[in-house]
Amino acid sequence: MKHKSPLQRFALSIVVGAVLLLASGHIDELRAYQGAQIAIFAIAIASIVLLTGYSGQISLGHGALMAIGGYASVIAQIHWHLPYPLAFIVGTAIGALAGFLLGIAAARLRGPYLAGTTLALAVGLPSLANQFHILGGEQGLTFDVGTAPPWIGKEFSQYRWFFWVCVTAALAIFWLLRNLLSTRYGRRWRAVRSNPTAAALSGIDVGRAKVLAFTLSSAVAGLAGSLFAMLLGLVAPLAFTLTLSFTLVTGAVLAGVSNLGGSIVGAVVLVAIPELSGSIAAHLGGSEKVTSNLPGVITGVLLILTVLFAPNGPKLPHRKR
Amino acid sequence: MLASRRTKGGIFAAATIAVAALVASALPAQAETGVTSSTIKLGITVPLTGAAAPGYNKIPGAMKAYFDYVNANGGVYGRKIQLVVKDDGYSPATTLSVTNDLILKDKVFALVGTLGTANNEATTRLVNSHSVPRLFVNTGFSGFADMKKYPTTFPLFPSYATEAKVMGKYLADNFAGKKVALIYQDDDFGLDAIKGFTTAGTNFVAKIPYSAFSQVDPTTAPKWVTALVAAQADTVIMFGVTSATAALAGAIYKAGLLGKIQMILGSVGSDGTTLKGLLGPLAPALAGTISASFLPSASDATDEYITLFKSINAQYNAGQVFDNNILTGMNTAMMTVQALRAAGTTPTRAKLIKAIETKGSTWASASLSPILFSATSHVGYTGYWFGKLGADGNAVSADGPGKYTLYSTDSGSGPVVKAAAARPAMPAKGLPTN
Amino acid sequence: MTIFLNTILIGLNSGAIYSLMSLALVLVWRSTRVVNFAAAGQAILSTYLGYEAMNRFHNYWLSLPVAVIAGALISALVEALVMRPLAKRTKGTPVEAIAPVIATLGVLGLIRSLAGMIWGNTFLQYTSPLSSMGFKIGHTTIPFSPQNAAIVIGSVVVMAIFAAIFKFTRLGLSLRAASFQPEISRLSGVRVDRMRTIGWAFAGAAGAVAGALVTPTMFLSPNSLDLLLVTGFVAAVIGGLESLVGAVVGGLVLGLGFAFILQYIGSSIIFSAAFVILIAVLLIRPQGIFGARSSREA
Repeated sequence: MKHKSPLQRFALSIVVGAVLLLASGHIDELRAYQGAQIAIFAIAIASIVLLTGYSGQISLGHGALMAIGGYASVIAQIHWHLPYPLAFIVGTAIGALAGFLLGIAAARLRGPYLAGTTLALAVGLPSLANQFHILGGEQGLTFDVGTAPPWIGKEFSQYRWFFWVCVTAALAIFWLLRNLLSTRYGRRWRAVRSNPTAAALSGIDVGRAKVLAFTLSSAVAGLAGSLFAMLLGLVAPLAFTLTLSFTLVTGAVLAGVSNLGGSIVGAVVLVAIPELSGSIAAHLGGSEKVTSNLPGVITGVLLILTVLFAPNGPKLPHRKR
Repeated sequence: MLASRRTKGGIFAAATIAVAALVASALPAQAETGVTSSTIKLGITVPLTGAAAPGYNKIPGAMKAYFDYVNANGGVYGRKIQLVVKDDGYSPATTLSVTNDLILKDKVFALVGTLGTANNEATTRLVNSHSVPRLFVNTGFSGFADMKKYPTTFPLFPSYATEAKVMGKYLADNFAGKKVALIYQDDDFGLDAIKGFTTAGTNFVAKIPYSAFSQVDPTTAPKWVTALVAAQADTVIMFGVTSATAALAGAIYKAGLLGKIQMILGSVGSDGTTLKGLLGPLAPALAGTISASFLPSASDATDEYITLFKSINAQYNAGQVFDNNILTGMNTAMMTVQALRAAGTTPTRAKLIKAIETKGSTWASASLSPILFSATSHVGYTGYWFGKLGADGNAVSADGPGKYTLYSTDSGSGPVVKAAAARPAMPAKGLPTN
Repeated sequence: MTIFLNTILIGLNSGAIYSLMSLALVLVWRSTRVVNFAAAGQAILSTYLGYEAMNRFHNYWLSLPVAVIAGALISALVEALVMRPLAKRTKGTPVEAIAPVIATLGVLGLIRSLAGMIWGNTFLQYTSPLSSMGFKIGHTTIPFSPQNAAIVIGSVVVMAIFAAIFKFTRLGLSLRAASFQPEISRLSGVRVDRMRTIGWAFAGAAGAVAGALVTPTMFLSPNSLDLLLVTGFVAAVIGGLESLVGAVVGGLVLGLGFAFILQYIGSSIIFSAAFVILIAVLLIRPQGIFGARSSREA
């Protein structure tokens, strides 16, 4: 693939967006929902790709960062009465702030130590919802963004509207990230990932580069969390479990970790796997003990096989580095 | 804050219903979604796998068994009931995904017995926008009684707040002057309960919150016991889930305090068979424990509903031990069949909701509590009886088999009334004819 | 004072279990540089097999070795069938560090679902003949029972055995060499692949002991050891991942820390507390308490 200018990429995003949004009129509600899900996962996976693929840090706690973004958006709507697009921006900003604080600690930690710390965050953070009344406890807080604006058309279903919002957000994020990664920041992060010592010797402030990457990654995760809250219609501790964090890392690996474009493939696979294993299980049948656990078995096997046989993600044309 | 949110939700819900009604009226008359000439399709979401599954995963099987029994005896006006069961692993995000499947792909007529507070909350918008009846949700969160916010939802079980209010009266009647402590889950479940105890004016020598997340840590419960001893409590109310209840019982027993600290259990954590399974060799720890229930004792051989449900369980759900989960599932299924019958020979979603509002309070149900469904209230049961757990883990009424003293109230601040329980007789062979 | 001593006993008991799980993770980390999330799955499967053995022999003590051998075999199989080919395929790629983590998550999910399929998603009882009633001292019953004693003693024995193997045997020397200098070891005739599998087998055995000892104090279900995985990993990170002593110290720090927080602050913040304890330790020593000062990259 040739190196594109920001403007060319912008044009590409617009074209892809127009095609997808037009297509949304021809798919049923269920597919529109899944499309929105894919867009949200793609954003969330991109946040991990940014962190792991470009700055070499590992996080098992991005589910918690999504929770921070989601809760911030909902609180911005309920208490500050902000319209939801602004609430999304608040979610993104608070995500960035949390990422900045975590990043300061994280910059000192390597590989498994960071993984452990972020894992503890993923487990510990959701339980805070029961500590503070403002967070709504176990049943959470509802997040109501209403239906599509009237100018867009009358028979615009809820899920189709969510699809539009999520796809637009995803395209904007991918356009921004692509451009950012081709600036000197992107080059610095790559340098830090491939050889921190050499990067430091050539004058890059490694700690600062890592904190910045963590901040940015968390901002993106915060936005994903806000959109996730919109799709669910609520934030609740049970919605942001350790499983979500693990799912995101899984998606990132399926995406090839250092491949931003692969995030979309990773997201598609994440949405497809439960559906696939569910329908395989339904066809095979058996006793209730068997049928209820069969999707889990199939998902596990698919995951192991995918990692074994396509550990570097899809074979997408890589950009020249 | 809460009020403004509710109004907003209410307006939104009302608007979507209005739109849905307009759209519906513009369409030519056709069969309702999920209903064919020979079948009615219903859906349920419940944790079948994951940490929350044990116990709850027996409910759908029990419901299916009762539906199979009804189907074998002619179904509902000739239509056979199908129940599509979806595993949500207790995660609200998964609940929404699989409920999308139920409503948009499987096209069920109604949802029945969907489990969990946040789980039901997550699907509310979808349910409201498609006006899908959501019958007899399996949660005691008092919020679901709000008809504006949840116009198609019918909670059957009493709310946690109602339960605590009733328990407060029971304590005042039977445990006056005792040093009572409370252990509760520090989320909406426990906080709802605290609201109820406050209404009842119950005083506690100690209130011990615990985190829903820490219940599986085996080191939590001994600490509760230390705190109970420090507060010199002689009675403890446990308002927690079954695993936490078992942990408390075990810890009291291990500390040699059995008989010195009287345990009183809320209905959520009081399923005897599950408790016994969790406690294993420590099962004697349950001796003398008092529990609150709205269904009769699962071991009451004189109860016509129990006897029938047991025989259906043996025939259509072979291999499953009859316990409170099975009883709950069958009772919910029996209520569902009456609701479907009341919706008439050409059932629609609107007719189904109307039927529950107008006739639901007269239906046969194993519960000893009256049913309060009406056009202005979607609240089902509001009463409890108290009994001691027997050797098989099931609660036994102090009044003798088949006799229960019921403490009932409304869902607001009304008084708690104590009376002998009475309920409609079971229809012949447990097959509704309403 | 009594409360203080009781809290220590409660902390020691859970600390011993955390240490064993932490040990299982550290042994794997040392041998293959992988954080093994499948450890909880392997332990649950071996515990179920122990449960089956007990139903057959009606003897808890006979079921223990069954669980331990099963744990070692399962772990060795996971290494040989999944992790080794994966390591060869990902060597030098950007996913080298993270793909194995995903593979272990896949194994964890697979094993848990298989257990649910075979034994059902229900609570089972794996009972020990030891009393769970607390010891009596004078008129007070302390929160420490014979089964708790078995947990602590069992943990100490396991750790002593591993310490002896690593310190005094030829196998231990080869294991250490293969883990710290794989290339040089290979040149000097150590069969590195085999050493890695043995490292995993040891880890599986440690996890199996943890599962078989702690389950009689609670219950057995496909998810009943999930929490132990998290606490074990946090303990391992606190201890420094490289060090067996660190694994034990990390487990005790966490066990005692939790017990005191539960007693004196309240149970609801317990997991936030795990995060705070971890951050506090790592801010002072980013490589954990016993970690090597300049540990190699993951």
